Amino acid sequence: MTDHAVFATTRRVLVVVVFATQLVLTLPSLVAHHQGPAAWAAYVLLTSVLAFVAGHVVAGRAEPSAGCAGALAAVTLTSSVLATTALPAGASFGPADWAFGLVGWYLLLVLVERPAALVAALAAHVCFCVAWFLHAGNGDAGTAGVVILSGTSFQLGVLVMTRVLLRDGRLAARAAAEHDAARTREVLARQREQDLREGFEGQLGALLPLLADLADEVVSTADEATRLRCSVAAVQLRRLFAENDDVPDPLLHELTACVDVAERRGVVVSLAVSGTATPVPTEVRRALVAPMARALAAAGGRAKVSLLRTATEVRVAVVADAPDVLPEAGDVPASVLVETSVHSGLVRSEARWRTR
Amino acid sequence: MADEVTAVVVDDHPVVRAGVEHWLSSAGIPLVASGEDPGVAWTGPGARAAVVVLDLHLGGVAPELSALRKLVEDGRKVVVYSMRADDEVVLQCLEIGALSYLTKAEGADHLVQAVRAAAAGQSYTPPALAGALAGDRSETRPALSPRETEVLVEWFQSESKEFVAQRLNITLSTVNSHLERIRVKYAAIGRQAPTKAALVARAIQDGLIGLDDL
Repeated sequence: MTDHAVFATTRRVLVVVVFATQLVLTLPSLVAHHQGPAAWAAYVLLTSVLAFVAGHVVAGRAEPSAGCAGALAAVTLTSSVLATTALPAGASFGPADWAFGLVGWYLLLVLVERPAALVAALAAHVCFCVAWFLHAGNGDAGTAGVVILSGTSFQLGVLVMTRVLLRDGRLAARAAAEHDAARTREVLARQREQDLREGFEGQLGALLPLLADLADEVVSTADEATRLRCSVAAVQLRRLFAENDDVPDPLLHELTACVDVAERRGVVVSLAVSGTATPVPTEVRRALVAPMARALAAAGGRAKVSLLRTATEVRVAVVADAPDVLPEAGDVPASVLVETSVHSGLVRSEARWRTR
Repeated sequence: MADEVTAVVVDDHPVVRAGVEHWLSSAGIPLVASGEDPGVAWTGPGARAAVVVLDLHLGGVAPELSALRKLVEDGRKVVVYSMRADDEVVLQCLEIGALSYLTKAEGADHLVQAVRAAAAGQSYTPPALAGALAGDRSETRPALSPRETEVLVEWFQSESKEFVAQRLNITLSTVNSHLERIRVKYAAIGRQAPTKAALVARAIQDGLIGLDDL
């Protein structure tokens, strides 16, 4: 519950309380004790304050500005002075004193979110009434004490309850925010872990299923197909090792790593490079190297790998003696264009990426 | 014997000189002189050789561009033969007027074709050179047609003109004429050199390229 909600609710309740008090408790007293026009003026002023506040509450603006609250408090205190001075001599705090308790409620109504101002205004109100009572000089001090104590203590009690509610509301809001933050952190951590796992599986590609199949003896290295899978996995793994190396030209570094694995298998590979190094995002780099790595893994005798970097494009191509059917491709980002074709027994596979 | 293709090789490694001599003589091209200093191409039998095969890195760190420039300005037909395939240096050599640029990773076949072409005053574009041209980002690079660019890239990628022809569905001679047109476009930019002027003039005479294309 926010501060705003606490004040709005309290004020709504106070509007009802004040309305009931004014109508049910004070109006009969005012009528019964035949007072002068000043008392009626005070009554009308108070009613106008109530109408003003009730209008604001209904309009959804439950918290008045400081200036507005000050003006309303001033009107209320003026009514207090008018009503108190209009009383017959010695009637203060007696049955005819309709205004004392009511003004306290009004002050609470207009100043509930400003405790210091409220206490000051209440004190001024009580002091004035007490002073007027002493000035008249013939009242019952005991009755006056009881009235003052019961009236103000009830109103201060409401103030204290509001403050407690406010504090609890703030604590609850803070706890809820912390809980939300913890939940968000937990979801983020879980997502990150999943991304990591998926990324790792994606990078390892064919390796994990291949190792599982070999371990389960589902496949045998005597098969040509299995050897091709091993060869693909070896190139992928070597490329993965090279991926995070800190080198000036990572793309060329990864290409060289793949060429290295193919050469160990006995493939004669020539690597040609043209153009200067341009920054290539890791995702794109993977997509650029992958078709070449697959073709190299399948290559038999010779292969030519080339890296061309023009002002607008990065192109990685391989032309190799390889079977017509290459190991299947993985997912490729849309920005990378892969084209594979077979001409006179040579497989050509090219991946292109537009730099701009 | 004016038409006979002869060559002189300048390289600081005896094993390279011996290897080049073997490759060329196997193809019927006599090597009339060889040595580790460009002077060998200026004096004695080397001065009369039709083609100079020049190693760009003769012991020093910096490429021997001034030696290349002197030979080209004298009207000599030079094939640059280098360890390195540094794109910038490759393009510089073409700009000076070398008829071909070969890396030592490229084999006998390319060297023989480059020397034969150079003897006839023609350019030869091996795959590594094609790659350098395709990756050229310099301000002064000539405008190539999309087809020419594709031929360059495919030739760089495959090292097989037959493969390029099949891929692009064109004939072998079309592949060659695309490569030649590209080289003529390059010959038409930058400083003048006898070999470059001859390339352009011949291409226009043969109708390979119009004046408007330059």
